[in-house]
Amino acid sequence: MKRILRRSTLILILAIAFIGGLGFFSVELIMNAGDWANQPYNAHISGNGGLEQAGAIYDRYGAPLAQTVDGNRVYNENSSIRNSLLHTVGDNSLNISTAVQSKYRSQLTGYNLIWGLNMPQSLRASHDITLTVDADTCAAAYDVLASYGKKGACVVYNYKTGEVICSVSTPGYDPQDPPDITPENESEYDGVYLDNVLSSSYIPGSIFKLVTAAAAIENIPDIYDRTWECYGSEEIGGSDITCVESHGTINFEEAMAHSCNIVFAELAVELGSEKMTATAEKMGINATFVVDDVNTAKGHYDVSKADTNQLAWSGVGQYNDAVNPIQMAIICGAIANGGKSTAPTYIKSGTGDLMKLIGLNKGDSKQLLNPDTAQKLNDIMRYTITDYYGDDLFGNLSVCAKTGTGEVGEDHKPNAWMVGYSQDQDCPLAFACVVEDAGFGFEYAGPVAQAAMKQAAESLRTKG
Amino acid sequence: MYNYQIKKEVCELFNFDVIFDIGVVGLRILMPIYAIFIVYQCYAAMRRRRRSEKPLVTLFNTRTGERTPVVLWENSIGRGKANDITVDDPTVSRNHCVLLRRKEGWFVSDIGSTAGTYVNGQLAEGRTQVLVDDYIKVGTTEFRLLRGDEYYDEIKSSWFFKKVSDKPAIKAWKLMLMVTLFHFFMSIEAMFWNDGTNVLSPLIMFGALAAVEWGFFSISYFGLRRVSFELEALALFLTGIGVMLLVRQVERSAYVQLIAAVVGMIIFCVIIKLIENPDKINKFRIPLMIIAVLLLLTSIVFGKVTKGAANWIYIGYISIQPSELVKVIYIAIGAGALDVLQTKRNLIEFMIFSVICVGLLALMGDFGTALIFFITFLLIAFMRSGDFKTIILALAAAVFGVTFVLRFKPYVADRFKAWRHAWDYAQAEGYQQVHVLTFIASGGLFGVGIGNGFLKQVAASESDLVFGLVAEEMGVIVAITLALAVALLVIYARAITTRSRSTFYSISAGCAAGLLVVQLSLNIFGATDILPLTGVTFPFISCGGSSIMSCWGLIAFIKAADERTYSLKR
Repeated sequence: MKRILRRSTLILILAIAFIGGLGFFSVELIMNAGDWANQPYNAHISGNGGLEQAGAIYDRYGAPLAQTVDGNRVYNENSSIRNSLLHTVGDNSLNISTAVQSKYRSQLTGYNLIWGLNMPQSLRASHDITLTVDADTCAAAYDVLASYGKKGACVVYNYKTGEVICSVSTPGYDPQDPPDITPENESEYDGVYLDNVLSSSYIPGSIFKLVTAAAAIENIPDIYDRTWECYGSEEIGGSDITCVESHGTINFEEAMAHSCNIVFAELAVELGSEKMTATAEKMGINATFVVDDVNTAKGHYDVSKADTNQLAWSGVGQYNDAVNPIQMAIICGAIANGGKSTAPTYIKSGTGDLMKLIGLNKGDSKQLLNPDTAQKLNDIMRYTITDYYGDDLFGNLSVCAKTGTGEVGEDHKPNAWMVGYSQDQDCPLAFACVVEDAGFGFEYAGPVAQAAMKQAAESLRTKG
Repeated sequence: MYNYQIKKEVCELFNFDVIFDIGVVGLRILMPIYAIFIVYQCYAAMRRRRRSEKPLVTLFNTRTGERTPVVLWENSIGRGKANDITVDDPTVSRNHCVLLRRKEGWFVSDIGSTAGTYVNGQLAEGRTQVLVDDYIKVGTTEFRLLRGDEYYDEIKSSWFFKKVSDKPAIKAWKLMLMVTLFHFFMSIEAMFWNDGTNVLSPLIMFGALAAVEWGFFSISYFGLRRVSFELEALALFLTGIGVMLLVRQVERSAYVQLIAAVVGMIIFCVIIKLIENPDKINKFRIPLMIIAVLLLLTSIVFGKVTKGAANWIYIGYISIQPSELVKVIYIAIGAGALDVLQTKRNLIEFMIFSVICVGLLALMGDFGTALIFFITFLLIAFMRSGDFKTIILALAAAVFGVTFVLRFKPYVADRFKAWRHAWDYAQAEGYQQVHVLTFIASGGLFGVGIGNGFLKQVAASESDLVFGLVAEEMGVIVAITLALAVALLVIYARAITTRSRSTFYSISAGCAAGLLVVQLSLNIFGATDILPLTGVTFPFISCGGSSIMSCWGLIAFIKAADERTYSLKR
């Protein structure tokens, strides 16, 4: 019988393995409970039924964006503010997954691993949250962007502190009165649940010249001594590269200010796919950035299969290039910051232990550019505004910027882009604006950027 | 001003809503602690129960004058070190014979030795009775069987059994009172569910449950005069939780479940009676095998396909799952007395039977139960032979078989494609798993209260996904405690291995406990997407009449392994 006892160790091992499995499950539960609970079908929190216990959401100056009044979720009284912050604040549904009311719903309603969602209402502690956005700036940007009736995005953030001041995505809808999306009106609301600032990427057009310029500054020692001849069109690698106009004899700084395609196409070919890819990688074009637990959409730069002509086009932001709005704002912020990026955040503060519950990862700073390269890009971006567009464009802000017109093909009009930043110490703001299916970058994205930057500067200077 | 403030606070303190909510929360916090306490008490009681290890008889070596105390009911004698009684004599075979005790007295049985075994000079063939003062000759060594009470040895301590005592840690009726009180608290919690309808139905259900519990206790205590009740108390605790949970899911099923549990308790008593003689089952093994195969065949022929598996048969209003009943037969056939095992003749027969069972279950599409049978087969085969080669061969055959099935029936794999990717198939194959995870997380440590869960809206929540249901409504602490309560049966079954009256009991107890743990693993880890979801039940708690009957039937083997079940009466 002793033999049987010894052999029964096998059954004991089985039981120990089972207990180990329970341990594994417990670890999984502890690590993921918040995500598991936070599902659209979870009847404990979904619908207005869950949000009626949620805390309030304020903008950076304390303006209520969403709060519970007499058991109903009420959004800001100003329609522009409500619409502009739909993708940041969210609505009663969990459809916009990157919105605060979706991703932190369980924390807002007082979820934690110990109590789950089982606390009776009278004992449940809900949390308020204050965002970094300025409602007025968002509304100002939204009014311009929405007037086009196109898809688009605009983001403005403080490249010193990382606080996002403005984040707007179209199309949107009024969270107080969400539309019934039916098969008939589906096309009108295509992509409405997507926050284009964080989750979309677009063909960049000329704003990608910042990357080509950075590669040229670092790899071609006599770049500032050179001149090029632009006749509006040039054959590179068997096909034509076209320019908007015939720029004549032109130097490097002028080429950026006038956005000459010929110069940057030639530069891309001269640099070659290896150096172009290395710079694009370093600047984070192919990387995803983490913004408050959300992974931003990656940009795209891949010339591994490109021929010479395609490589040339890739240098001016065409071919298969793509960038994401907040990614471009981060890169512009890095140029302003001597090459170091600052991770953006939407969350300013929360009541109680909310910040601990959310457990935001400290977005780490990356060196996207050499300090010297950043300084030189800064100078030519500043020159672009002072020389080409005029310095009063953004009121009394000293802005460095680049516009872009990304051709998307025959069926659609181009993507209009404007990215840049202000140098002012009291308003260190980087921005990126894009309008899909629009036209020239400056014509469409320009007004959105102007509205957002002017209002952001005014708010910061008057309210702090 | 100061007075006014206090007055206001007092008013708030006596706000009825808040007081009521504090009470509800208090009860919910109390329940997990209470559940842990009950499970602890059940096992503490098992640990304290142990007979004193006085030698039953003594073997006197006539050549060397050495006295060997015999403390076990079945002892293997041989030259090998692993034997219960080792004889250092080159003429003795490695495994020579078995000395065993039965109701009728002591027997010796030769297990194929070269030199043979002689009792008083006569060659022993089959089991030969040995009386006190008789001589047993193995090889050139001769033993004389003496009475045991002449010899006293220091009693070895065991890590499981605490003290040698027949006194339990807690009196059986007190344990029962604790269990009943727990179920009462459950019914109170269920009365105040959010839905608000049928307030009194949990209390009525509790009344029926308490009647069954105390009825069974009375029969066991006064009728059968059993000395211990810990194992039954633990099983009643689990059964009752399953029944009380069902009140707020499908009330009618709760009564069906209770009736099935009563049948289970009867099966429990009948099996204990049937296996009183550990040699009897061995004689009936062929008819039992035929019955088992016929039962499985009926579900293939008459079975109705439910959830992809054709394992149900319907007789009028009653639906039964024959595979559950076959589990009990399987364990009974698998075990055997020590001298039967040592001759090794039966393993091939058992293997063929196992292949047929597993094959028929796979044919039904009931892969979960097939896997349970397969792992139980590995356990039984190893317990009987101690041979790793058999295990490895069987595993290799299984891998080959599975590859073969997947090669020719690739759609079988589709049923399990959501495994470890449940979130990617949240609207399809992973639907049940992600709902389980979401609602477990929603329940937190203490649960949302009985009847307040939303998992009950998901299909099979009261059976295959019951772990999630318990975790959501009673909290994850209770859910894990209940799982551990079942898993610890293995530890108990192992601790009583050498104390059983025959290896038949120790093997069947160990394998029954092992089977329950395998089933538990498939249930819990299947529902939580750690293993593929195969749709097996949580022992004792899942809704399912056949399942609960087989669980009660299986623990009968564990009960029988405790020698006091037969030898001692109150």
